[in-house]
Amino acid sequence: MRPPTRREFIGASAAGVCMMSMPSFLAGCAKTAPIESAVTPANPFLTWFGVDEAVIRSVLSELTARGADQAELYFQHSRSSSLTLEDGIVSNASSSVDLGVGLRCVVGDQTGYAFTEDLTLESMLQAARTASSIAQAGGGPAIEAFRYKEHKGLYTLVQPLSDVGVAAKLPLIEKIAAQAQAADPAVEKVRVLWSDYEEHVLIADMTGAMHMDVRPMTRVWCTVTARKGEETQSNSSNLAGRRGFDFYDQEQIDLLVKQAVDRTMILFEARRPPAGEQPVVLAAGASGILLHEAIGHGMEADFNRKGISIFADMVGKKVSSEHVTIVDSGVEPSERGALNVDDEGVPTQYTKLVENGIMKGYLHDGISARHYGVEPTGNGRRESFRFAPVPRMRCTFMENGPHTAEEIIATVKNGIVAETFTNGQVKIGAGDFTFYVKNGWLIEDGKKTAPIKDTNIIGNGPDVLSKITMVANDFRLDTGGWTCGKDGQGVPVSQGLPTTLVSSITVGGEDA
Amino acid sequence: MPDIDMLLERAQQAVELCKTAGADNAWANASRNRSVEFTTRDGKLEKVQESTSRGLSVEIYAEGRYSSHSTTDLRPENLQAFIAEAVALTKALQPDPFRFIPDPALFEGRPAVDLDLVDPALGQVTQAQRQQWCEAMDAAAGAHDKVISTESTVQDDSYMSAAASSNGFTGTKAETGIWFVSSVSLQDEGDKRPSNYDYLGGHFVSELPDPTVVGQGALERALARLGSVKGPTGAETIVVDRRAAGRLLGSLLGPASARSIQQGRSFWAGKIGQPLASDKLTIIDDPLLVRGFASRLFDGEGIAARQLPILEAGVAKNVYVDTYYGKKAELQPTTGSPSNRVITLGDKDLEALLAQVGAGIYVTSWLGGNSDGTTGDFSFGLEGHLIEGGKIGACVGEMNATGNLVDLFMHLSAVGNDPWKYSSTLVPTLVFEGVQISGA
Repeated sequence: MRPPTRREFIGASAAGVCMMSMPSFLAGCAKTAPIESAVTPANPFLTWFGVDEAVIRSVLSELTARGADQAELYFQHSRSSSLTLEDGIVSNASSSVDLGVGLRCVVGDQTGYAFTEDLTLESMLQAARTASSIAQAGGGPAIEAFRYKEHKGLYTLVQPLSDVGVAAKLPLIEKIAAQAQAADPAVEKVRVLWSDYEEHVLIADMTGAMHMDVRPMTRVWCTVTARKGEETQSNSSNLAGRRGFDFYDQEQIDLLVKQAVDRTMILFEARRPPAGEQPVVLAAGASGILLHEAIGHGMEADFNRKGISIFADMVGKKVSSEHVTIVDSGVEPSERGALNVDDEGVPTQYTKLVENGIMKGYLHDGISARHYGVEPTGNGRRESFRFAPVPRMRCTFMENGPHTAEEIIATVKNGIVAETFTNGQVKIGAGDFTFYVKNGWLIEDGKKTAPIKDTNIIGNGPDVLSKITMVANDFRLDTGGWTCGKDGQGVPVSQGLPTTLVSSITVGGEDA
Repeated sequence: MPDIDMLLERAQQAVELCKTAGADNAWANASRNRSVEFTTRDGKLEKVQESTSRGLSVEIYAEGRYSSHSTTDLRPENLQAFIAEAVALTKALQPDPFRFIPDPALFEGRPAVDLDLVDPALGQVTQAQRQQWCEAMDAAAGAHDKVISTESTVQDDSYMSAAASSNGFTGTKAETGIWFVSSVSLQDEGDKRPSNYDYLGGHFVSELPDPTVVGQGALERALARLGSVKGPTGAETIVVDRRAAGRLLGSLLGPASARSIQQGRSFWAGKIGQPLASDKLTIIDDPLLVRGFASRLFDGEGIAARQLPILEAGVAKNVYVDTYYGKKAELQPTTGSPSNRVITLGDKDLEALLAQVGAGIYVTSWLGGNSDGTTGDFSFGLEGHLIEGGKIGACVGEMNATGNLVDLFMHLSAVGNDPWKYSSTLVPTLVFEGVQISGA
């Protein structure tokens, strides 16, 4: 059962939602055996999926036999693996292989969808008939010649993940655990999770375009439990991206371990901030969760095409300070939200949602772009071949502003700094959104004083945008592994922010 | 051969493949799910999705080592290679003195109960019928001049799985489900477009309500959100609606596992026999509820299902213990995962509880927030209504409730008599005293 109106933004440390437990020792067995076909596949992606042009032509023809404004086959093969260290040993590994094709037929704003894990012609034709059942009449265009486009550039790895064996990963995991264990005498337990994931995607659309992309993803996650007397605290940190094994060098390990240990140890000193409305300084980096919830989801064009987003009538209007430019970009190299091409075959781009305080435009997939008569923005994404694509964010962030972090904090009499986060959520129509602050600081008389913890912040999107009063020049993208959930689909995203001041928002604290 | 027997054969073959590839022991699970989703918006077809999905997972025990794997690529030559790689991988790990395949003694005593989870009539539901239901939901949901848009879905699944192990376990499971979901967006003052939804369903087509009930429910729940304002900051009595109370119980029970305790990340550590809630709260994990949403005859390790008291009059009685963390924590396995949670009921319904409370906040749903399983500290966003003169008053939102879960449940002052039956957590209305609320 998935309630249809909630959009959850699920952080790395939320339980049970890490769809990315994915790594890679299964190189050899991943390759699928070709099925019989008349023509020898020329393209390596066709070989990968065991199909050829004749098969694709025939399935597309069935899919569009009753008419279509948009139709495509989304072939996907993914391979994932993970290794877990607990109580000093790497004692658990897991892997998975997923293979299938999703078939979609769109007429106007109506969608027929089917998928199959069985890539035989018979099974794909059956799925095509199911998906095309929404169409009424007419036929699709005959494809004259297929046009191949392998999309590259944002995350091509020096060494494919399938070439990195368990023998290479074990020392990395052990090193991280040993460093975390040694970092503080109070550290009692350390858990390290490594995961890697690689997918091959082939999108064959009704016009004959064939889009190909190889998408890697890695993550390493360190959880620390520490004890002082009777008190136990735990916290974690993770690094993620479309990066190769070589990324995780000593510098990155040091950073990961330091974050995990520092964020845990500070909890022994941390308390709750005062409850109620107050100024909140969002620290540079992961605070981009504010943008994701406060504006990002509301700017996904499906909600606006249907008239159910609080931002449905705001394009062209001033929504925030002139210092505020908000972007959703698919082209940030190696980041978790990077995509060479979206899941409809549209190359991604740098899309401005707000420029100098003015609302610019929505995040589009093919359906919404046709509805509005604009070009798609490369935001049509899906979790896997089991889902039809919908408009989704990629890397969402704010560009630098004119202030400095120090001057922003100095202007706050009483408030908080929000530094690390676990999760957030938004109601698209009412505009109310939340994010959960795991670590932060109290500000008293313009200075950071005591550490704070476990505080939910709740606000209303347009209201909070209008209360962004200062933006610093210290922008950075967060490298934690964020997953965004919508309509039951999880996709990897990134977020970033320069230090930013929201003049007033409701903070879940104690002792008001 | 019936489908479920084919799944069992597939699982048994996978166990054999693991053994042939060098595993000492293996556990395999094969599953299949047929799923249909039919959605209309404003009475017009929006999306139709149909699929039959399959999967195979294996757990491998080899040379004192362990790993788990899953695949949807079931072509024989690929499956064989997949399993051979998986066994080779297992052997490259470090040996773990605590890792054993579940003890066959735990498989014994599987209850001979018909849980009644499968409706053969589900296969006869037609797309025309689904469309008619959706149109009826949309029509009822849209019957108000503030409605911007409605969306209604019929979703049904037919799931079956079979498991087998190298130490003698076999078991199969089948389940069907069909649900009505309807959501409504309304035009409020300014740009606000509050929305809400309703859903009802069950394992059986015959359990479905009149679809207009779900449409009307969605509309009423959306209308209740009009004119929402931020409520006050302060310590309040909160009455938590039965649909929202499951989130609090889930947070309280989340760390109640041998895994969390052994890993040092649970406020349940050392608390068996100690109070973790007021004496109003008694919770039993009951896998044997007929037509329950998490009912089962055995768990993921094959452990025969039985009732497990979790809290009795507020005192912690048991936690969820699987084979592996049970060995590590020196606890007897109970079951590794929750099933249905049944709460002992009080004697008042929502209306009577609101009247009893007089003033406070009636929480209808949570928005975001989280809790720390190690310490129990929580902070949740909420929306609902003020309680004024013992009745539901002004619509409020954009607020948080913050505190510690154990402290919160120690302040549980009343439990309703109205369990929410459309969930595996059958929780009634709950009343808590002195909860820190932050708003305006």
